[in-house]
Amino acid sequence: MQDDSNSPAMSRRALLRMVGAAAGGATMYQAMSSLGLAADSPYRGPIDLQGAPRGASVLILGAGIAGMTAAYELRNAGYRVEVLEYNARAGGRNWTLRGGDTYTELGGYSQECRFDQDLYINPGPWRIPYHHRGILAYAKHFGVPLEAFVQVNYNAYIHSRDAFGGKPQRYREIKADYHGHVAELLAKATSQNALDRAVSKEDQEKLLESLRQWGALDKSYAYAANDLSSRRRGYQKEPGGGSSARPIPSTPIGLSALLQSDMWKSIPSGDEFDMQTALFQPVGGMGRIGEAFARELGPVIHYNAKVTDIHQDDRGVTVRYEDTRTPGAVRTSRADWCVCTIPLAILAQIPMNVEPVLRAAISAVSYASAVKIGLQFKRRFWEEDEEIYGGITYTDLPIFNIAYPSSGYQSGGKGVLLGGYVFGLAGMEFTAMTPADRVRKAVEYGAQIHPQYLREFDNGIAVAWHRAPFTMGCFGMWSEEARADHYEDLCRIDNRIALAGEHASYINGWQEGAVVSALDAIGRLHRRAVAQGVA
Amino acid sequence: MMRSGAQAARDARRKFALLLLFGSTAGVASADDASFIAPADLAKASGAEIYSHVCQGCHMPEAQGAAGAGAYPKLAANPQLASWEYVALTVVRGRGGMPAFGRRGEEPFAFLNARLDDEEIARVVNYVRSHFGNRYKKTVTASEVAKLLHPGAAAAR
Repeated sequence: MQDDSNSPAMSRRALLRMVGAAAGGATMYQAMSSLGLAADSPYRGPIDLQGAPRGASVLILGAGIAGMTAAYELRNAGYRVEVLEYNARAGGRNWTLRGGDTYTELGGYSQECRFDQDLYINPGPWRIPYHHRGILAYAKHFGVPLEAFVQVNYNAYIHSRDAFGGKPQRYREIKADYHGHVAELLAKATSQNALDRAVSKEDQEKLLESLRQWGALDKSYAYAANDLSSRRRGYQKEPGGGSSARPIPSTPIGLSALLQSDMWKSIPSGDEFDMQTALFQPVGGMGRIGEAFARELGPVIHYNAKVTDIHQDDRGVTVRYEDTRTPGAVRTSRADWCVCTIPLAILAQIPMNVEPVLRAAISAVSYASAVKIGLQFKRRFWEEDEEIYGGITYTDLPIFNIAYPSSGYQSGGKGVLLGGYVFGLAGMEFTAMTPADRVRKAVEYGAQIHPQYLREFDNGIAVAWHRAPFTMGCFGMWSEEARADHYEDLCRIDNRIALAGEHASYINGWQEGAVVSALDAIGRLHRRAVAQGVA
Repeated sequence: MMRSGAQAARDARRKFALLLLFGSTAGVASADDASFIAPADLAKASGAEIYSHVCQGCHMPEAQGAAGAGAYPKLAANPQLASWEYVALTVVRGRGGMPAFGRRGEEPFAFLNARLDDEEIARVVNYVRSHFGNRYKKTVTASEVAKLLHPGAAAAR
């Protein structure tokens, strides 16, 4: 066995260097340094909130992950808590659509999920990196079982409509060939003394040795059709047993075709800190975490409550809300303190007497456009025909990718895959369609990668986050200048109101941002409450 | 109008890291599918097309808006559209959760967003101000839009 223990770090560095060269910019070279340095979750274990003032109360707005984290911990600390939630369910963006669920988006477009038993789609978060300790700790605490989420699948595809006649290529082939060619080039440059100024002679020997191992080069430092390269990219005829068992090596894609295909763009899809193995998903859908929180909190959560006004005075916070089932009837709740997790796109429209700097911060964040489309097929053809078990296919079609379920492998019957996860302009375009058209388009485009789509498609459901009545967008997008000008103001407690949610974090678009933001907010709120004593 | 080298390097770094995060390049749409426009082809799109591809998702097909926990304002027969500056500035700078479509310079989430240049903004502003029951005569030009303060403009200088 080869010792590949140093390969990932080396591959990333070399890859980025070559990407930089290909992009013609020395700037890209520096992209290296930013990778692997992404912010670590600050979660360091259960929060300790001792000495809550007797009888003190907190009103929490929003029963998403941030709101329920706050409610759970504050209640445990002795506060009286109440949660107001717009939806008829808890979880917010932590959400799983299963057969029998109905969903009505803005504009009144209604969909019924018609998936078979045990099949589902997570319209929001769908994976948890191992270092998102906060959300993992709550899943463990509530006994939510996890299973591995397959991010990188070497047998999934990279697809481009303009490359290789539109024929999808296996990830392992693209990765092996790119690394192989790059290793060969670097080895040549080294042997021709082109790196003499940058690398000492002693290091050049090690470099050559490492390139051979990393790139699967032969003895003459060539990347060629042989057993070495086939062990990475796969064989034309795989090794067998008994007679006629001899393998036949496959032929690598040529360097020029590979570079021109742009498929190398998808190689680092599992190299980001947030995407590195291991990743997890709750068994049965991401919504299991929100459901577990909701079970814990029970009657503390008040559903169907649309907040219309937030008003604080010297002694507490009064929130007016409407029961969405009986519009027009205004109700109020009051508490000493308030933790508000309402997404900023919505909060910007709710009257609230806070400092102008907080008001400005709330309005400074725009929300990402994202669409997810779940498709049920009559059989798991991606497994049966193509040996793809979990993982993600990347394409330059408007669906962006196809993600295969990381559960239920080899089960007979139907299967559900993610037929598109789209953002940016294409996300806005998918949002503009009716849900039925989104599904139709996802099938149409996906069929270019999996022709089985046309025959096996059963039904689908599509969630466009800008049309989600409870968030009006996918997650908070901070521009650099908005972050510099407003972030601290957003997080500062305004008299009796503290904001929390993924938008009040540097881990935007992840549940971990919601958890750590909530813990930070309630920690500070608690200290303030303790300092003031009995309300 | 050059950004500093360090700034450019930082921007490139972030952009690249985010590209990796989402694991895909922003979609290049099909040339033969009217449902999708490649970002570069927005330059050829009419005001009506820009509206249906970029604005309609939130403001709805008849510009009637929508309401849930919050609301997307209706643009149809909306007297606030009387001020072209108000409309153009909203598109350029965003409002509440609405993205700033006139953002200039590099930014971490650029590829997660859609951007419109001044000409495209002028076209879509003129379209909404002359459709959906709005009958404002003034035709906004790209140079008028260019005079509005664009977010990110300081960094782009």
